[in-house]
Amino acid sequence: MSTYGAPVMERERIERTPPAQTCAIRLEGVSHSFGELEVLSGLGLDVAEGEVVGLVGPSGCGKSTLLELISGLADPLAGSIEIEGAGGAAARLASCAYMPQRDLLLPWLSAIDNAAIAPRNRGASKRGAREQALPLFARFGLADFADAKPGELSGGMRQRVAFLRTLLAGKPVLLLDEPFAALDAITRGEMQEWLAGALLAESRTVLLITHDVEEALYLCDRVAVLSARPARIVAELRPGAPRSVDRAAAVTDPAFAAQREEALRALREHSR
Amino acid sequence: MRRVLLPAAVIAALLGLWEILAQTGALAEILGIRESVSDVIVPAPSDVAMSLWEDRELLLDNGWVTLSEVVLGFAISVVVGVGFAIALHLSETLRLAFYPLLVASQTIPIVAIAPVLVLWLGFGIGPKLFVVALICFFPITVATFDGLRSVDPAAVRMMRTLHANRATILRRLELPSALPQFFSGARVAVAIAAIGAVLGELVGADSGLGYLITQAQGSLLTARVFAAVVVLSAIAIALFALVSLAERTLAPWGRKELR
Amino acid sequence: MKTWWISALTAAAVLAGGVAAGCGEKEESVRGGETEELELMLDFFVNPDHAGIYAALENGHFEEAGLDVKPRVPSDPAAPIKLVASGKADLAVSYEPEVLYARDQGLPVIAVASIVSEPLTSLISLPDAGISNPADLRGKTIATAGIPYQDAFIGRILHDERIPEEEVEQVSVGLGLEQAVLSGKADAMLGGFRNIEGVSLSERGENPLVIPVDELGIPTYDELVLVASEEAVEDDPEAIRLFIAALERGTLDAVEDPESASSAIVAAGDGLDPELTQAEIEATLPLLAPKSKEAFGYMDEAEWDEFAGFLADEAFIQALPEPGEAFTNELLPGAIPE
Repeated sequence: MSTYGAPVMERERIERTPPAQTCAIRLEGVSHSFGELEVLSGLGLDVAEGEVVGLVGPSGCGKSTLLELISGLADPLAGSIEIEGAGGAAARLASCAYMPQRDLLLPWLSAIDNAAIAPRNRGASKRGAREQALPLFARFGLADFADAKPGELSGGMRQRVAFLRTLLAGKPVLLLDEPFAALDAITRGEMQEWLAGALLAESRTVLLITHDVEEALYLCDRVAVLSARPARIVAELRPGAPRSVDRAAAVTDPAFAAQREEALRALREHSR
Repeated sequence: MRRVLLPAAVIAALLGLWEILAQTGALAEILGIRESVSDVIVPAPSDVAMSLWEDRELLLDNGWVTLSEVVLGFAISVVVGVGFAIALHLSETLRLAFYPLLVASQTIPIVAIAPVLVLWLGFGIGPKLFVVALICFFPITVATFDGLRSVDPAAVRMMRTLHANRATILRRLELPSALPQFFSGARVAVAIAAIGAVLGELVGADSGLGYLITQAQGSLLTARVFAAVVVLSAIAIALFALVSLAERTLAPWGRKELR
Repeated sequence: MKTWWISALTAAAVLAGGVAAGCGEKEESVRGGETEELELMLDFFVNPDHAGIYAALENGHFEEAGLDVKPRVPSDPAAPIKLVASGKADLAVSYEPEVLYARDQGLPVIAVASIVSEPLTSLISLPDAGISNPADLRGKTIATAGIPYQDAFIGRILHDERIPEEEVEQVSVGLGLEQAVLSGKADAMLGGFRNIEGVSLSERGENPLVIPVDELGIPTYDELVLVASEEAVEDDPEAIRLFIAALERGTLDAVEDPESASSAIVAAGDGLDPELTQAEIEATLPLLAPKSKEAFGYMDEAEWDEFAGFLADEAFIQALPEPGEAFTNELLPGAIPE
């Protein structure tokens, strides 16, 4: 049994890069409501530093709300959330970078200026901020599009720029809210590979929300399954293979399919 | 090209029709007036054109005066209006207290207030600037305020997680985001600003197109009155085009939502 | 009291005024017991200068003459003559200078009776402005109503005093003559009437200096005249004759009973102060009453010629009219019809 009281899918566990012992994110008994509507109920989760954890659950179960609470944009009505041991909303805000579902790139800024928003907000000059962003652009294949306006970029590119913006906030924890939901299947696959590579290159603690179980299994060290509202964690899976950039290989692994079915079953069971 | 040719053709056709009606006396008949004096009541386009040429110095000199009043008054209203919109946006208390007054400002009849302003500010450019600014204030402020208010809350949240404080959010997100809407209001304002200048001149001036219209009207020089109106319209159109150009340059992304 | 009604889009107002006043075409006159409609354009808002007209209306003199007179307030002061010239109005109250100017511009209008046979336009100033005679106008600000013939008066006055025009600030304030002077923003006004603005300022206790322009070197002229189109005088002189006769009766009624005259004006006007109107009426009635042994409304050819000469000197009109051609006394009561 795991520490959360939820059954852990037993698998042959192949060690990945062992997560460090310090707990980057700790949730205990988190509950939240909007008026009469209870959204989260007694949710508990530990995320180690450098770990990539996926959250899957039925639509409207409160995943986005959970990310907002973790990020420090709001405080839960009950329970505690700690980031690297610090509990206050301001501390969480300082430690978390939140990538919302829509890319929300500002149309009046070029791609690189959009990505450089966080350094600029912290007081960097325009040039200084760009200098911080340029290497990332280069590394992730966006160098040619640095000066393009968001309107000129494809959906996939915009999501990449948004991700780089999130990275450039320089915060240890990344909260990604369904980053690829709006993309078509092909682009989504490419973006998943790209993200896998990015996270391998720049290690962060990541919470990834997705409705795509395959995506979660491919990208994450651990996948938590959430129930319908009021949400709590009802299952947890640990993918067999280490995170890798080769998506095709990972997805065609027979173990992968089995895990997918288990996850989907858990989802169906608890999605009422 | 069609964009210019079609309206030009329409205007030319209307003017042509008007000219024919005037020259043949049909216009007089339609209006029920004696043909011999119809040019004093409604001059033909050719009379107006002649006045535009013959009185060009008068029209240019006075047109310049009115133009300055419009441009300066408009500039004042932009500064005050945007500032006001920002204040209302940042403070709920101010919004509750002042938004109704903002709406009321639109209903103040300029015709009534202009004479009072003249008594208070004298016969110089002051009252005209005040009237122009007053007329422009409402469309600019309301549009800017709506623009600020309609910023995507998700974008605000995103900025907060990117080290932005309230001032940064205003400066880097809300104000640029509201720019297209500001221009919307500015275009409306600049088109009606000329009316304010003329009204201001009617109650205390020694120059300007409004003053010229008064003089010409009293002298039965109706063609000149029309010519002055043409110049006024030209001023309004030119300023409108300038604001539109500024919008295309400074806010080319239009009103597309943040995706 | 020459002041303008503010119209924002004056060109449209000209057109609208022409159309609006004309809506309801004048019916063809049917003689013999039927009433004839007459559109009468006043020169300005209803005020004591119209005492004779409103007394005639109230006491039924027009009715008796078979006339249905409809007085109308103009959209702007230049409108009445234009409307009469164009046929949209039958009669108008206007000013001798305007008649001469209009004729000079080629409008076929003619004065058919004088309502006030002397100038009312005055230079009016309050004590604080420190003006006791026209020479003191140097370096001062004069508020005007924006009416061209009054500007011509100022030109002549300044010329006579050898004051260069640049040394006097002339500002057109439309309706705000009294306020301009009361607020101190203007040192004097030239455009108000001595029996209206002059009395009004007096009643306020301001002790104004009021100098009618004919005491400042301007030849005398008829401030208020009744105007018709030449065509109407030719085609339907009878109606005009009857009008003037009824107007005479009304004027005599008013002179005998100032209080009724005042209340008639207050009733017809909008929001006029009864006390002030009474004071203005008392100043006005002597001006309306016929003084000379000539008929009511008589216009003096020599005076008109001299005044026309003055206007020509000031380049206000281009050409001198033929003597006596701008007016006719033939329709006055007691005149022998041709």
